[in-house]
Amino acid sequence: MTMISCKAITKSYTKGVNTITPLENLSLEVPRGDFLALMGPSGSGKTTLLNLISGIDTPTSGILEIDGEDIARFSRRQLTQWRARKVGYIFQLYHLIPVLTAFENVELPLLITSLSRAERRRKAEAALDIVGLSDRSHHTPGELSGGQEQRVAIARAIVADPALLVADEPTGDLDRESATHILGLLGSLAREHGKTIVMVTHDARAAASADRTLHLEKGKLLTMDPNLTTV
Amino acid sequence: MTALLSLAFKQLVRHPLRTLLTVLGVGSGMFLFTSVETLQRSLASVTEETAADTTLVVYRENRFCPMASQLPEHYAEEIRDIPNVREVIPIKIIVNNCGASLDVITFRGVPGELLTKFAPEIEIIEGGDSEWKKRSDAALLGEQFAKRRGLKPGDKFDAVGITVYVAGIIRSPFPQDNNVAYVHLDFLQQASRTGLGIVTQFNVRVDKSSDLKPVAEAIDSQFKSDQQPTNTRPEKAFFAETAGQLIELIGLTRWLGLGAVLAVIALVANSILLMVRSRVKENAVLRTLGYPAKAIMFLVLSEGGMLGLAGGIVGAGLAWGFLRWQSFTMGSEGHTLAILPEVSTALFAIAGALVLGILASIHPAFVAIRQPIVKSLRS
Repeated sequence: MTMISCKAITKSYTKGVNTITPLENLSLEVPRGDFLALMGPSGSGKTTLLNLISGIDTPTSGILEIDGEDIARFSRRQLTQWRARKVGYIFQLYHLIPVLTAFENVELPLLITSLSRAERRRKAEAALDIVGLSDRSHHTPGELSGGQEQRVAIARAIVADPALLVADEPTGDLDRESATHILGLLGSLAREHGKTIVMVTHDARAAASADRTLHLEKGKLLTMDPNLTTV
Repeated sequence: MTALLSLAFKQLVRHPLRTLLTVLGVGSGMFLFTSVETLQRSLASVTEETAADTTLVVYRENRFCPMASQLPEHYAEEIRDIPNVREVIPIKIIVNNCGASLDVITFRGVPGELLTKFAPEIEIIEGGDSEWKKRSDAALLGEQFAKRRGLKPGDKFDAVGITVYVAGIIRSPFPQDNNVAYVHLDFLQQASRTGLGIVTQFNVRVDKSSDLKPVAEAIDSQFKSDQQPTNTRPEKAFFAETAGQLIELIGLTRWLGLGAVLAVIALVANSILLMVRSRVKENAVLRTLGYPAKAIMFLVLSEGGMLGLAGGIVGAGLAWGFLRWQSFTMGSEGHTLAILPEVSTALFAIAGALVLGILASIHPAFVAIRQPIVKSLRS
């Protein structure tokens, strides 16, 4: 079953007098539960594609269906509500709120839901348990290692139980050991929890841990894993 | 909403230095605002006439200082005969300073037997009226007057060349009465060397508020051709007229209050704007997590409101405590104005600070949601 369907997606914007088109007429389909790696040089459009798929940016043209909904047609408000329900975003630099504890950071996406305090606590503790950081729940980001911070960020991404996880170079700022741990965690989220994961990376070893890899260059699909469905 | 308020609160308490500095700044502004508001309200309470007012003050025409107003005491009998006059009390006033001053000592000489009749609202809270009746040099001190000078029943004190014995401490619902010393009229007349039979003014109680004007006209008409013509006005109008300099001075403080309000707005707006700019990425992350624009705005406005509220509580609370503790009395031309803060003034200042904090955060709140998420994440 298709989770992500991009049909002739183009993204362009104006910078000064120039029109820049980081993505041009790109089409692809990603089945549900896939762990997909996006690779390519800087400026190839992989982060732009990730931002479109996660709903924090909108395509200039084309159809972008996620889980059967054409999010390209969504208003800003609809897109915000959709992100809260459907997407978990993992940043390269974790982007945890420094004054909040690990638990409070993980709880953040739940504060805008109608869940009770007890339910929020249960879900946040469960997410921290999945990433193996239950014993660090009261530590602030400054008291955690880079790898632990990224695990907290992953817990924050999965706490609302979204079907789709997007990760922008999640191991880019980590040492090899921590990176291996994070990639293993993402793999298990896809395999054991049925999450569809789209990960941008520069690292071939990180990409190797994904089910499939897509290469982009100058906003176009360059090569792809033969198993990946294309339109 | 509670969860978001809790998040905003955590952001404030976990940035203690920034929060402390902003709260101190807001607190300073609200201290000034509360003090000015207290002055204004104290002044309003003694100058704004109400339907319940039934007191007239008879003063020597064209005189403004108690030293200069000298009226024959026997006028009292003639005034008492005027229709609708309920009570007349001759009063001799001696002050240590006729000009504008922050610490005025006022002696009010009244016939001992008439004091409780004239001002039944007065309550003796320490000592008793037996000493008052027994001793010619006895004084009943207003509560604030005694507190400021550390006096208690049985003490003797000397001011303006007059030595009195403290017979009791009184409390009145009218703040200005809590800042004077009541003594026997004949004692004060002799002690002040103006001699017996001369008083500063007559306070006249009429039956009802509508009697004020006709009775005042009748009194002035009665003594128009006398050696000492009179000028009779309602008590509050009298204060407003004779303490004109004081009122002008207090009127000027309105600008200080306005300045304090503007300073609070600028301070909170600056603090919140700096906070929003330093948290561009944090807000972008929240929006990525699905926080709607209104939730981000609510967080920013909440932080501004909480800063205002905390500053308001600190500033208004300190001002209230300080003014209560100091119990200042402003005086001019022998009239005293007790600067006593009311709880409602402090609450008004706190509520005002909360509103100012929220208002000051509106622009920063829009700044927080205006920038596109992708651009904010890259900044």
